[in-house]
Amino acid sequence: MTKNQTQFVYVSYIRTTPDKLWAALTQPEFTRQYWFGVSMKSDWKAGSSWEMMYDDGRVMDAGEIVEADPPRRMVIKWRNEWKPEFKAEGYSRCTMELEQVDGAVKLSLTHVMDVADSKFITEGVSNGWPKILSNLKSFLETGAIATANKS
Amino acid sequence: MSDGDELIVPPDVVYITFIRATPLMIWDALTKSEFTKQFFFGRTVESDWKQGSKWRLVMPDGKTDVAGEVLISDPPRKLQVTWVVEWLDDAPKDPAIITYEIEQIGDLSKLTMTQHTDAKIPRKFLEGGRQGWAAILSSLKSLLETGEALTIKMNPPE
Repeated sequence: MTKNQTQFVYVSYIRTTPDKLWAALTQPEFTRQYWFGVSMKSDWKAGSSWEMMYDDGRVMDAGEIVEADPPRRMVIKWRNEWKPEFKAEGYSRCTMELEQVDGAVKLSLTHVMDVADSKFITEGVSNGWPKILSNLKSFLETGAIATANKS
Repeated sequence: MSDGDELIVPPDVVYITFIRATPLMIWDALTKSEFTKQFFFGRTVESDWKQGSKWRLVMPDGKTDVAGEVLISDPPRKLQVTWVVEWLDDAPKDPAIITYEIEQIGDLSKLTMTQHTDAKIPRKFLEGGRQGWAAILSSLKSLLETGEALTIKMNPPE
């Protein structure tokens, strides 16, 4: 990480398979359940557009698929669309890597913005990911989410 | 000298996880061997968990893995201990400070683990700490939510 970058890193080990985890990260029927009602709109191919939205049509985040290698790795060019001070920082990069480790899948997430002290990373992403990924782990391991409360 | 041997004052390692359990269940899991041996790579713990008391993390063969002192004990909300790794000869001898904070939010709890180090340590131990805590606390969450911890093997930092 350089001086003009802000980075958030999170690792979670989940009792599941890489295929199931990939499906949970990309398919609206799953994301709606653990990701506080959002769904993803993309064909998950490199160069394709990507949008995260609520069912009422509000777009929260949008960007482009930079890399997609199911079920191992994806990189998303990612900009927040609902909070002006986040949006003003421009595009971040979110990388997710999935790796089978013994009886679990290791999900490594790195979310980087090429801005020093990025508000999107320190105020948005850093608060959001631990809750979303805790919910995702509960969802895959127990069939139920940990919390429906986003804030 | 490999890059991993470079001495750095590391940034705090912070790991946050939300667990469908009460704060007391999480406190018990962190402080009682019947739980730690399931999610903490087979380790047991020894302490009365009172402020000023010694504590130890013990490997299955009886050797001490980590030893230290209890700095703050406020069950089931906050536990802070010093942390010196004893089982690796080249591990840093200056203690790290580990803080667990447990906060109830409705019917779930937020667990925040912070590893703070003032001294310079080899870079490889920072990465080891990050990976290790993620595995340990992921396994803790699985244990409390499903009754079964994860089976993850880990090697010491290289």
